[in-house]
Amino acid sequence: MTGAVTWGLVISSLAVIVVRRRSLAILLVAAQSLGLGLYALTQESHTSTALAVTGTVLIAKALVLPALLLLTVRRARKERLIATELPALGRLAIAVAAALAIEQLIPRFGLTAGGVEHAAIAVLALGILTAVVRRAVLFQALGFLIAENGIYLAGLSLPGGLPVFIELGLVFDLVVIVSVAAAFAAKIHEQLGSGDSSLLEALRD
Amino acid sequence: MTDLLLIAVPAVPLVGALLVRLPRTPGGADRMNRFGASISAAVALTASVLGIVHGAQGLQGSWFVLDRAGACFLAVIAVIGWCSAIVSPTYLASAGKSLFTARRARAWYYTAFYLFWAALLALALVKNLGVAWLLIEATTGASALLVAYSGRRNALEAGWKYLVLTTFGLAVALLGILILFVGLAPHGGTLATLDWQSIARHARGLPHQTALFALILILVGLATKIGWAPVHNWLPDAHSEAPPPVSALLSAALLPTVMLIAWRVVLTLGVAVPHHLADHLMLAFGLASLAIAVPFLWRPMAWKRLLAYSSLEHMGILALGIGFASPLATVGVIIHLAGHALAKSLGFYTAIPMLRHDPASAHRAPRGLARLSTPVAAGAGISLATLSGLPPSPLFFSELLILLGGIAAHQIAVVSIAAVLMALGFLGLAHALIETLAGESRGHRWRSGRTVRLTGRLTVGLTLGLLALSVGAYLLADSHAGASLMRGIA
Repeated sequence: MTGAVTWGLVISSLAVIVVRRRSLAILLVAAQSLGLGLYALTQESHTSTALAVTGTVLIAKALVLPALLLLTVRRARKERLIATELPALGRLAIAVAAALAIEQLIPRFGLTAGGVEHAAIAVLALGILTAVVRRAVLFQALGFLIAENGIYLAGLSLPGGLPVFIELGLVFDLVVIVSVAAAFAAKIHEQLGSGDSSLLEALRD
Repeated sequence: MTDLLLIAVPAVPLVGALLVRLPRTPGGADRMNRFGASISAAVALTASVLGIVHGAQGLQGSWFVLDRAGACFLAVIAVIGWCSAIVSPTYLASAGKSLFTARRARAWYYTAFYLFWAALLALALVKNLGVAWLLIEATTGASALLVAYSGRRNALEAGWKYLVLTTFGLAVALLGILILFVGLAPHGGTLATLDWQSIARHARGLPHQTALFALILILVGLATKIGWAPVHNWLPDAHSEAPPPVSALLSAALLPTVMLIAWRVVLTLGVAVPHHLADHLMLAFGLASLAIAVPFLWRPMAWKRLLAYSSLEHMGILALGIGFASPLATVGVIIHLAGHALAKSLGFYTAIPMLRHDPASAHRAPRGLARLSTPVAAGAGISLATLSGLPPSPLFFSELLILLGGIAAHQIAVVSIAAVLMALGFLGLAHALIETLAGESRGHRWRSGRTVRLTGRLTVGLTLGLLALSVGAYLLADSHAGASLMRGIA
């Protein structure tokens, strides 16, 4: 696994936490999946056909899911600034600190490349952190995709990749989840006039 | 023949999901739903009987494993799914506005319902951890739509919270499965590497650190879906905002079925970690869930929200039973699972007439039901009395078996704390029971319409089931039954 792919993934995940525009964040996540897919396809001749499936799945994911989310953004074009969100630098500081802490806490788990292990854990953590520090529901949905890209990164560094059935099942589940999340995002925007998830805090005991 | 029958278990409701979209009238969709639900439940119950009769060693196939524990779970999912499908038309008749356009709302409801039910039925059968994960994730999409079905702001909040928390939790579980797969790769590196039997056979060869790391990530990830504290935040909201038939399916079928997967992980991978850490982790989830739930059971709360916190309590008790890992506790877990499912679903079904006649009961504790409607009061009373563990309910026997199983496993401190928490939970629910039935009622006596009559019939049927379970608890309380329940996976 080249350093460019792993670093690209980590940096683009951090960028999603920082950027303001939803469409730019969607494109960054699409670029992540596309980069991973192309990498898997270039490795296919050396290792296993399973990686070809992974590559194809990732490229399809890079095209279909962002298109779905961009459609949601188009339907809810007038997005107000979300006042409850931390400033970009604050979000970045929290994300970097938390990702580094998690990455340090988790021991090696047996992949040949140690750098890939660290990057996979960091990207998964950044996906979860995206949902924590970003208040817009669409960014929280992007967090799913980032977290799954972290898993795919680890899967790609296995000699035969992940089993094909798991790959296909994973992408099916992801399409279902992101479609449902997009439907929720549109409905929440319609009801609240904003995609701010902090407005969804009526249910408390 | 067995293969075909077991393929039909998830396939029939999948076909049902398509068929319910065909009729053009609400009445037609309801009739198709009743037909599809009856066939689906009959097939699943036949399979579960087969599993109980022939499953002493576990029936194995290319994709399934059906041991006695799995067969019991399958029967519970079949019964609760059928009951929820049968009461759904009554709910939909008075549901009003929904997340979907009025013309297609019913078709979407039934489609999501059947997809959710099919995934749950398949989950009780699969013999592979990776496939089980995919099915759990698949339940999320359909069930999140059902939780938010009413389209109200609170329902959207509950559905969104459920979607986000469980999806990220499952991502963590997937990382754990990947780590396990890496560790087991020298034994195949194919999908079959994640078969329960393969994990059980090779887990002892895993480095302790890898096994522990994988186990913690998988269990913590699954805990978000089961609703174990401290990762339970979605549970009270989703259960209280979902349509009552869906709340029943969530509480009585989804949570226990995902718990079955966690149980299988503990049994197969737990041997690879030292000092019974897997069992201790289950005990920690159990005590935390009980400790978090009990204070809420003492507060006056809207009916469905009270039932939701009771689910948290009972998932905690089940976690304790699994963590004690003794034959007595195992029998207790199975009885508790079935008793909780019947009583909890009855409680949620009584919410349909309750909400129709007193919409304010969505936000405040019900009172004086005995003066308002005898069938609804009977349903609510039997549900709460059973959930509180009042003798001779099956939950009284199952809780006793679990605690005795804990003593047999020499977990005296955990048993003592759990007994105190269960007693406090009992007092809280007993107080709620008295207020619900005999408190000062609001309004006039309810008309005995179709909804009330259906609640009465369900109360009779489910009460008979609860009584049968109480007898079963007495008959099954021997170590031989406990030891054979999970034999298929090891």
